[in-house]
Amino acid sequence: MESTKYSVVTKNLGKVYKNLLKDDTVALTDINLEIENGEFVSIIGPSGCGKSTLLKIIGGLEKPTSGEIIYSDPENKLGFVFQDSVLLPWKNVRENAEFPLVIQKKRSPENEKRLDELLELAGLTEFSTALPRELSGGMKQRVSIVRALSYDAPLLLMDEPFGALDALTRDHLNLQLLKIWSKTGKTILFVTHSIEEATFLSDRVLVMATRPGRIREIVTIDLPRPRNEDTRNNPRFAELNKYLRELIG
Amino acid sequence: MKRHGKTANFLRSIGEYVLSIGFFILIWFLYTKLNDVPTYILPSPDQVWSSFIGLFTSGLVWGHLWATTYEVMLGFLIGSFLGIVLGYLFIKTDWIKTALMPYLIFFQTAPKIALVPLFIVWFGIGVVSKIILIISMVVFPVLAGMMLGLESIPSDVKNLMKVLKANRWQIFSQVEFQYALPSLFSSLKIGIVQAVIGAIVAEWMSGKQGLGYILTYASSTYETPMLIAGILLTILLGIATYEMVHIAENKMLYWHESKKE
Ligand SMILES: Nc1ncnc2c1ncn2[C@@H]1O[C@H](COP(=O)(O)OP(=O)(O)OP(=O)(O)O)[C@@H](O)[C@H]1O
Ligand SMILES: [Mg+2]
Repeated sequence: MESTKYSVVTKNLGKVYKNLLKDDTVALTDINLEIENGEFVSIIGPSGCGKSTLLKIIGGLEKPTSGEIIYSDPENKLGFVFQDSVLLPWKNVRENAEFPLVIQKKRSPENEKRLDELLELAGLTEFSTALPRELSGGMKQRVSIVRALSYDAPLLLMDEPFGALDALTRDHLNLQLLKIWSKTGKTILFVTHSIEEATFLSDRVLVMATRPGRIREIVTIDLPRPRNEDTRNNPRFAELNKYLRELIG
Repeated sequence: MKRHGKTANFLRSIGEYVLSIGFFILIWFLYTKLNDVPTYILPSPDQVWSSFIGLFTSGLVWGHLWATTYEVMLGFLIGSFLGIVLGYLFIKTDWIKTALMPYLIFFQTAPKIALVPLFIVWFGIGVVSKIILIISMVVFPVLAGMMLGLESIPSDVKNLMKVLKANRWQIFSQVEFQYALPSLFSSLKIGIVQAVIGAIVAEWMSGKQGLGYILTYASSTYETPMLIAGILLTILLGIATYEMVHIAENKMLYWHESKKE
């Protein structure tokens, strides 16, 4: 059965936004994807090509106007990390990370223990009682990732999670994300503007084109894992970046 | 070190208050004494003070003070509650908004005080028509504040709640209410001031209870020291009730940027 192999499959997915005053926007057409379980897939493409729309549709936040989506998880549980961390400002770090467990009434001892491990993994343990306003942008985003992982959903959707951070913090968080990914074995769909970030992180990179939003090519990243600082010095890394840059044009 | 600086600042601002008020009272005192101003026009500060003390020592004022406080509290609580509930319903259900908005605009712009005689005809001169006037003065600002607050929720927070499959009650109690609080408290502070105004005005017009009644009584009998003492008491009641809301705000909005030290 394919549902055991693929985390998400989309078939001829399309999205049209009706506009009152202008022509309709075709945000997505004919999106056919097969995302394997445990895979790390990045989505890149010019601004307005429908990356966020695709992620929102897969996340169930918007309805497609055509096509269908098949999830391997029957409950289609998933975690979503937004560009702004959207932490609740009145809750401290741990309470924010724990929030999904509260909402879904899953505050069992095991889940609490796993949450503490995730906080540890993200280097947040000593800040667990800090309020969001006391955190740096990078720390907020780490809390937001732990929150998305707290309820052990098999699929993690991330929309430019590190877009607002400086390059150094971003590189650091990329490494941390890979560590979390390999420990938890999640499937990750990762939208980014940065070609290097996509290459560094992914198994495959989905390159999109605009007007109408569509898939141009899916590029397999054959860099060895585990990836680390050395990966960036690998000649293949530069080659892939160059290739992707030309694709986006 | 920081703590010390804070206390010093606090003491200094208290000192400035005392100085400024003291200066004002001194001018007032000199003016009345040097010009021999008749007491019924403008009593001197010491006459007002002894009248103020007299109100309490004679025991006369307690019943009135209680009556007004009771009306203010009850009217404010009911009005705020209604404002919060209506604000939520307005944001959540379009047809209620469409159906009630015209009345709302009518009532919000109408000078509520003009309705007091009507309330008296309908509900009598007792406490009911006073409470209703206060409610009508509190409910609109609170409703507007609640709506503004609910509209301020970032769209990704709504998306987060959707991803987590939260139900309506969870969304309200865990997220919407807290996000509405800053704007809600600004409107509650307007509401409590309105409530005191409403109570005093209602007492002018009807009944023999409350601080408003003391004011009209003192005025009609030319007991000006008592009148000014009554005004002072009204101001103090206003400050005290406002501060209660303010303290609640500081307690509940500890996390807000505006409360950062
Ligand atoms: N709610 C909406 N109503 C109408 N049009 C929309 C809506 N959301 C997105 N669009 C349009 O759909 C297209 C794709 O938008 P989307 O946000 O998915 O792009 P994106 O690839 O994420 O861009 P960026 O890289 O700038 O984030 C754009 O042309 C946008 O204007
Ligand atoms: Mg986007």
